[in-house]
Amino acid sequence: MKMVKKGDIIVIIVSLVLLVLCIGFCLLIKKDGIYVVIKEDNKTVYSGSLFKDDTIKLKHNTVKIKNGQAYMLCADCKNQICVNTGKISNSGETIVCLPNKVIVEIE
Amino acid sequence: MSAQQGNSGNRIKKLCIYALLASVCIIFSFIESLIPTALIAPGVKLGISNCVALMLVCFNDCKGAVFVNCTRIIISALLFGSPFSFLFSFSAGIISLFFSILLKKLEKTGILGISITGAVIHNIVQLAVAVFLTGKGVIFYSPILIASGIISGAGIGILCKILTDNKNLNSVFNQKEN
Ligand SMILES: [Zn+2]
Repeated sequence: MKMVKKGDIIVIIVSLVLLVLCIGFCLLIKKDGIYVVIKEDNKTVYSGSLFKDDTIKLKHNTVKIKNGQAYMLCADCKNQICVNTGKISNSGETIVCLPNKVIVEIE
Repeated sequence: MSAQQGNSGNRIKKLCIYALLASVCIIFSFIESLIPTALIAPGVKLGISNCVALMLVCFNDCKGAVFVNCTRIIISALLFGSPFSFLFSFSAGIISLFFSILLKKLEKTGILGISITGAVIHNIVQLAVAVFLTGKGVIFYSPILIASGIISGAGIGILCKILTDNKNLNSVFNQKEN
């Protein structure tokens, strides 16, 4: 039995191609980025990468970005709909706090 | 009658060997848990314990490989894991073993290819589970996890090649096949 068969070399090449693709993909989304945009009273108060962990304190709300997800950590509004929305991570998703006029959007 | 006896004797022997192999795996898992490879990136592992299942696949004993691998994952999760780590290692272990067996049956690759495929797929499945459980941020670990899969897969493959070429081991396993 030989140590290395032809198939082994194919496996190694495919794995290395996959590795290069992954590196490329990571660089692409890091550069291009998926952004979290926060608006308060119709003004943009924050815009940052979804992949950079951050805690943003607003007048009445606190937004947390962690592990590629954004969520409303706490809010002083009565209905707490924004807090109960949970975590968002896909572009187009939003968290809205109507009483405080806060919108968190993934772009 | 005597044939039946011989059969059940063989079955007991098989069971003993599997139990022994599974316990060897668990010792390997324990040793692995002491080596802080997870400092490089979460999920990076040496995968020595996978060597046993790989060896069984190479001896064409796929049932045994599945049995030993499941036993190993369940017991080591009970001993040093959490429900989370069980979910990770179980899904990754089963899917990567499936691909290893598939490659073995196709007979186009040697031990090295089977081992690397198994390790890389193991890490990809773990990453997919992590994306599902903790969010997209972990996707940045994908290059490290694939690279570590290739390296550890190659190392385990070479180790396994040495084991399967061993005459004593060969006689034990080929006897078992009968
Ligand atoms: Zn609110």
